Parts: sequence; C-alpha cells; structure tokens
Amino acid sequence: MFPKFDRDIAFPLLGSLILFGMLAGAGVVYQALFDGGAAERLITVMLIDAIIVLGIQVYVGNTGVLSFGHIGFGAIAGYTFAVLAITPEEKAKRIPDAPFGLADVDMSSTLAIIIAVVVACLAAVILGIGLARSGAQSGAVSATVITLALLFVTHEVSRNWPELTGGERVGLFFPIGGALDTRAPIYLALLGSLIVARLYAQSRSGRLAVAAREDNLAARAMGVNPLVQQMVALIISVAIVAVGASLSVYEDGSLLPENFFFDFTLLTLVMLIVGGRNSVTGAVLGVAVMTAGRELARRLGQDGFEILGIGLDGKPLDWIFRENLQTVFLGLSMLGFMIWRPKGLLDDWELDEWLRSRVRRNHPDPQPEPLPEVVADTTSVLHAEHIDVKFGGFKALADAGLHANGGEVVGIIGPNGAGKTTLVNVITGLVQPSAGEFFIDGDDVSKTQTYELARRGIVRTFQNLRLFGALTVRENVEVSSLIAQSHRIGRTIPDIDALIAEAGLWEHRDRRANALDYGNSRRLELARAAALAPSFLLLDEPTSGMSNSESLEMIEQVRHMAATVGAGVIVIDHDLGFITGISDRIYAFDQGAVIAVGTPEEIQANHRVQAAYLGSTAEA
Amino acid sequence: MIELLQNLIDGLGRGSIYALLALGVAVIFGVMHLLNFAHGELITVGGYAAYAASNQGWSWYVITPLIIVCAVGASLLIERIAFSRVRGASDFTLLLTSFGVHFVVSAIFLLYVSASVKTFSRPRWVTNTYSVGSLNIEVFDTVVIVVTVITLLATTWLLQRTMFGLALRGAAADFDTARLMGVKSDSVIRGAFALSGLLAGIAGVFWLMRSGSTTPSAGIDPMLSGVLAALIGGLGSLRGAVLGGFVLGLAEVLLRSRLPDGIAPLTDGVVFVLIALLFIFRPQGLITVAHAERV
Repeated sequence: MFPKFDRDIAFPLLGSLILFGMLAGAGVVYQALFDGGAAERLITVMLIDAIIVLGIQVYVGNTGVLSFGHIGFGAIAGYTFAVLAITPEEKAKRIPDAPFGLADVDMSSTLAIIIAVVVACLAAVILGIGLARSGAQSGAVSATVITLALLFVTHEVSRNWPELTGGERVGLFFPIGGALDTRAPIYLALLGSLIVARLYAQSRSGRLAVAAREDNLAARAMGVNPLVQQMVALIISVAIVAVGASLSVYEDGSLLPENFFFDFTLLTLVMLIVGGRNSVTGAVLGVAVMTAGRELARRLGQDGFEILGIGLDGKPLDWIFRENLQTVFLGLSMLGFMIWRPKGLLDDWELDEWLRSRVRRNHPDPQPEPLPEVVADTTSVLHAEHIDVKFGGFKALADAGLHANGGEVVGIIGPNGAGKTTLVNVITGLVQPSAGEFFIDGDDVSKTQTYELARRGIVRTFQNLRLFGALTVRENVEVSSLIAQSHRIGRTIPDIDALIAEAGLWEHRDRRANALDYGNSRRLELARAAALAPSFLLLDEPTSGMSNSESLEMIEQVRHMAATVGAGVIVIDHDLGFITGISDRIYAFDQGAVIAVGTPEEIQANHRVQAAYLGSTAEA
Repeated sequence: MIELLQNLIDGLGRGSIYALLALGVAVIFGVMHLLNFAHGELITVGGYAAYAASNQGWSWYVITPLIIVCAVGASLLIERIAFSRVRGASDFTLLLTSFGVHFVVSAIFLLYVSASVKTFSRPRWVTNTYSVGSLNIEVFDTVVIVVTVITLLATTWLLQRTMFGLALRGAAADFDTARLMGVKSDSVIRGAFALSGLLAGIAGVFWLMRSGSTTPSAGIDPMLSGVLAALIGGLGSLRGAVLGGFVLGLAEVLLRSRLPDGIAPLTDGVVFVLIALLFIFRPQGLITVAHAERV
C-alpha cells in the first residue's frame, strides 16, 4: 500500500489545502474590494455553502445517486443544534413547551454541533436502509424520490411541531451576539470537509463506491457490496452537511422551516453540478461560480443595468432586470448545464491528480516484472446439479449441471439460446434458479449473493463488456485487487501493474476504460477478473467480436492468466475451434440441457453435438 | 361504519385527483424514463390563467377549458424547450432537468407576477354537500369522482383501441424495440406530453377549485402527490399509477381522521413515513413491472 501514499494521501491533502486557500483567498480579495457588512456576509455564506455542497458531493458524486434529501438532513441537524444551543432564557420566549425537557437545556455550541451531527447521522442510517432496499444505484429514480420524501418530512415536521421548532411564523432565534463573531470555526470546518471529501474518494470505500456508480452489476460480480459503500458514503456525507447546517444556523441567528427546503436544495445542487459533481475541485469551483453569478443576478435585478457605474439606463431592459432575477438564474443554470454540459465544468478532474501527473511526468513508472505462475489450487471444486431456470413459460435450463475442478479448463459450448450464459448467471448469483443447487468446495451456495460468490472465488467476465468506464485501466484492476486483499486471504494476490503488463495494457494503464478499443477492453476485463485471485474464472464469450488471430492470442492469454493466479477456468463460447483449443473437458448444451460431456476429441466426435451444433439432422 | 364509509368517499374524491396526476407522471415515465418533477407546474400555469380570467370576471365555464388548454400547451412547450434536448440522457440528467424546469417555471411567475398568494373566486357549488342517509357527501367529491371515472375510461379506450395508444404502450414496454418497429418516437413522445398535460389539466381544474389560490411554488404539492402515487403503484405501470393515486388519497383521509389530535397536523409526515416503509418491504411498488438487465 505504501507506494500509493502519494496518490491517496499526500497529494489529496496538498490539493485540499490549495483549494481551501483559493476559496478563502477569493473571499478575502472580494471583501477588500467591496467593503461592508453585505460583502462580509456574502463570503461567510459562500464558505458555509461550500461545506454543505462538499458534503453532498461525497454521496452524490461517489455513488451517482441523486439526493434531494441532504438539505433535509441539514434541517435535522440545524434544528437539533438550535434547540440545544439557544439559551434557556431565549427558549422560554419562543418554545417554552419544548418536549423532553429541552427548554431547560443549556449547552455549549461545540457540544451542540457534535450532537447535531450524531442525530443527523442516525437519520442517515435509517434512510440509508430504505435506500438500500429500494435498490439504490447510479441514477436510480426511486432512491431519488425517497430522498425527496425525506426533505418533505423534515419540512412538514418543522412546520407543524411549533412546540419544538417555533413553527412557520416564530421560528427559532439566537440573540444578537450569538452569531459567530469569528470565522475560525467556518474555516476549520471547510478545510476539514475538503480533506475528508478528497480522502474518502481515494479510500477503499470511495473507490468501490465509484466502481458501483460506473457499473453496479459488474461491481457486484467483482465482490463489491455497493450497499455497504453507499451507506458509508451517506454517513460521511451527512456528517459534513450537518456541520455546515449547524454553522449556517449559528451564522444566520435564526431558523425557519423555509431555510432548509426547496430553494436551498436547488442552490446546493446547482453549485454541485455546475462545477462537476464527480469532483471535489468541481464542487468548490461550482460554489464560487454560482455565488458570484447569483450575486450579480441579484444586483442586476435590484439596480437594473447600473452596476459599477457602467451600463445603460435600466428602462429598456426592465423586463429582465427585476427583483428575484437570481432565482431564474439558478433554475436556468441547472437546465442549461443539464442540456449542454451534464457533467459540469470539470467532470471528474481533480486538482491534486493533475499536480501529481505533472510531477510524475519526470519519473515514469518502472516496467513491472513478469508474474511467476503459481501452483494451481486443485482442491477447489465447483459443482452444480439439477438446475432449472424458467423465464415466464420458457425453460432456459432444464436439469442442467456442471462440475469443475480447480486448475482445469472446462469449456461450455452450444448454439445461441442453449442456456450457456444463463448457467453462468446462476453460478454467479445473478439469476435465481427455480430448482437445483450448487456447491463450492462442498458448501451449498445456491442462495448466496453475487458479491459473496465473487469473494469465494467465482469471478466472471461479461459477454457484453462491463467495465468501469470512467475509471482508468489501472483503477479498474485495482477495484478487484482491493476486494482480493480483504477477502481472498491465503491466496497469492497478483500485483496490479504486473497483471496489467501481462494483459498487454501497460502503455494504456492511465487511460480511461471507455476510451479503449474492443480487444483491449476484453483484455482488461480478463485482467480485472484475474486480479481477484479467483478459484474459478468464468469467461462469457471472451472472443466474441474478435478476429481469428486475436482469438488465438486470447487462448494463450486466458491460459497464461489462469496459470498466473492459479485459477480454474470455465469458458463459454459457440466457436467450436476456440473451445476445443483451450479446454480440458467440454460440456455441450442444447435447449437448456447438457447433451454431452467429454474431452475435446469425444465432443467433436459426438453425433448429438454435431446434430445440435451444426444443425445437421444426420442422426447416426 | 358510517364514519368509515364517509372516509372512503372523501378518500376516493382526493384519490381521484392524485390518480389523474400520477397517470400523467407514469405516461411520461413510460416513453422517456423521465420522472417529471415539473408535472405540478402545469397546475401552476393553470392557476395563474384562472387568476387572470377570474380578474376579468369570467365564469368557471370558461375558466375550466382555459386551465386545461393552458396545461396541455405548457406541457408541449416544456417538452419542446427542455425535455426534447435530453432524450436518451442518463437518468441523473433527466431527473435534474425536470427539477430545473420546475424552478424556472416557478421563478418566472415569481419574477413577473409576485411571490404573494393570488386568489380567485371558486364556483359556489364547491362547498355544497348533500346527504344520503347519515352520510354527508360533498357535491365536489361527487363531480370529481364521476369526471375521473369518465377520464380514466376514455384514457383506457385511447390506450387500448387507438394506434397512438398501441404505440405509446409499446414505447412504454420497450422504447428501443418500439422505435425499430416503426413507431415514430417524436410523435409518440409529443402525444404522451399532450396526454399528460390533459390529465394534469383536468386534475388542475379540481385542485384549483378546491384551493382557490395559487403561488409561484404551488406546483410542489400536486407534483409530490403525483410522483409519490406513481411510485407507490410501481413506476412504469399505468394501472399502478391510478391504483397508487387512490391508495394515497385514502391513506391521507383515513390517517387525518384517525390519528390522535397531537399528531394530526403531521399527517403528511406520517404518510411519507408509511410510503418509506412500503418501499422497504416492497421496493418495486404495488404492481411489479418486469424489467430485466441483460448480462
């Protein structure tokens, strides 16, 4: 792990510091240019908004789930903070009947913030369970509606529980002087949020969450449990938002239900997407750009076109420059960016990664040593029997079975629709069979989740390529390696760089997976699967779409890769030549059932196989 | 027993409006995979039209078709200006686009009308009731239920018996295949937005008759009801959306009358929590829509 120190810790820390300096510096410069309370307040609000937007970025950016609920968490934290931190005398005026004896609580604001964070995080755990159940994944619609419902619940409760919240008209109020008298806590929280957000993105959990964001199914097939990583991201994200919300309440000196509702949700989301939701740098940029834009729109709306002493007489443009222009500006920004630049200004560009790549240009990576082959683990056994799968009335598999020993190469062959892929889907937990069971090393794993099976060493590739598109080649392989390090204990875990070199992808290691050509994508899928140090590699048509010479090369690569990690291979193809060239034993499938098992020679000589496969009716 | 029957009728009245809204949301979701957070804006537009017409002293016989025409027009206009540009984009983009449309529309009213509540006269019969035995039935609820049933029947006819309906259902089941089969995606999508606007317009007439007022952000409540109802029913299922609407209406009325006094103001909050629980135990909603990811 130590060589990654630069990438995952040192540079992110440096980048966070620089970003902090830039945002805080911009604020100081602005205040120097525009003297006065309004300018000071604008900058303070910007810094607090930045904390909240960074918090949202941790969840939305890393998981790809759009949340409207973070401002709802903000409301929970804000009210918790306010109810605890306001002095008993002041509470006696506003909420004398507060439940649970809260009216008499007298607490320091630091302690109140800590409790607010804890309460918001508890709410996050509850919501997180609901999100997990709803099948939250990148872009999931029901997950988004659940978060929206949270926003409405917090709003309804804060409006209709005046004993606690002061309701819609009275609200909660800090006496003058209760407002923050120095910015130190805000600066501290902002720097902390930047560091946490960047370090999380580079952490194991962050990387796995991003992999699931890119392709949920492929991530599960590589042993990632996306729901756990989403929960971690949600809790960290809500904790940051809770700190920001508490500071915001403190700074405002008052709290009404409307403060944490739709308008604030719009503002923070626009800030996030304008900069680029997948990047911490983008979040910071978005906050700065939108704060400036909104302030400009507000002034234009207020003063007409007269700004800084230049401009037209406001009259002819009165229809644009009017009060509340900033709200239109925010809405149009969101719409415009969604239509023309949905990934924001920066997409997933990070300042510290750019800095690191500049520094690294003069220190190229050493070409990795070739990997030694390891002794195959011949003790592992995969056994499936009596498997039935029905899709509606169609029987995709009928009493199908498979037996594979570690270290051997088992081929599965059959015409289209024979049930080959369905069998692999059953073995990797993606399809539940209606009958039958299957075992790994004698344990019944028929009901086991996909990611659990992957951790037990059943790792697959996909017929229709499922890479983590926005990640680089190296990061793709790293995802599996991270899982292997914690779940394939006792196995030799291959070095990532060496594996990439073995797959012939060394010169492409820093390219994004979605920029690779077809053959290289296939090779990357193989390398990614091998990095998990599997007991069995399941390859679903690894040569589909490849030329003959590429196919031959692939045979070598599959054999070599399997030997390198000591895995058995189960390979599906409908190319008889490829399968006979690679397999020790072959299962022939037709119409959902096994019609023959044997060595390549036996299968080639088998009349039923010839009949099914070549479509000839030459029954002997 | 009588009270339950009373709740049932009230709930059906409320649920009818939700069902119309949810159906409009589901139709759009079907053809574009877009969850339309701007659906409520069609009612806001209708509301300001009603406000303007009411100021002119026009009667509800004129205002009613005006609201519907405005909703259909707004729906088509929004499609042309915003949604047609993000067809086929990621779900994330679609969600935020409709969220953005919601804000732009309400901001325009904020800019050019005002932030304050605008009220208009309501037809006199809205508050009338009549008695059947010991039941007190609102004339309004009766009209709402009857009109909703007629609308739903007509929509069913449209979807089951016309080429447009077939194309729309085909597109909802599998958009890409429908296109390959020669369904003109442009006209189906526009038709879907027109239908969605029409349903929102009818729902809007009732919504506005009951509220008698509008604000720039008045679209939020009907939007939320429609979206939640569509989700309760099972997103993508038109039948589910209607069912979800009635379930949501009944749940609200029953809870409001049964919850102890202290919690009654929090009815909406309780409804949300119940919906969350529903999702925890039945994530796919009431009606399951089969959709498989090919691997």
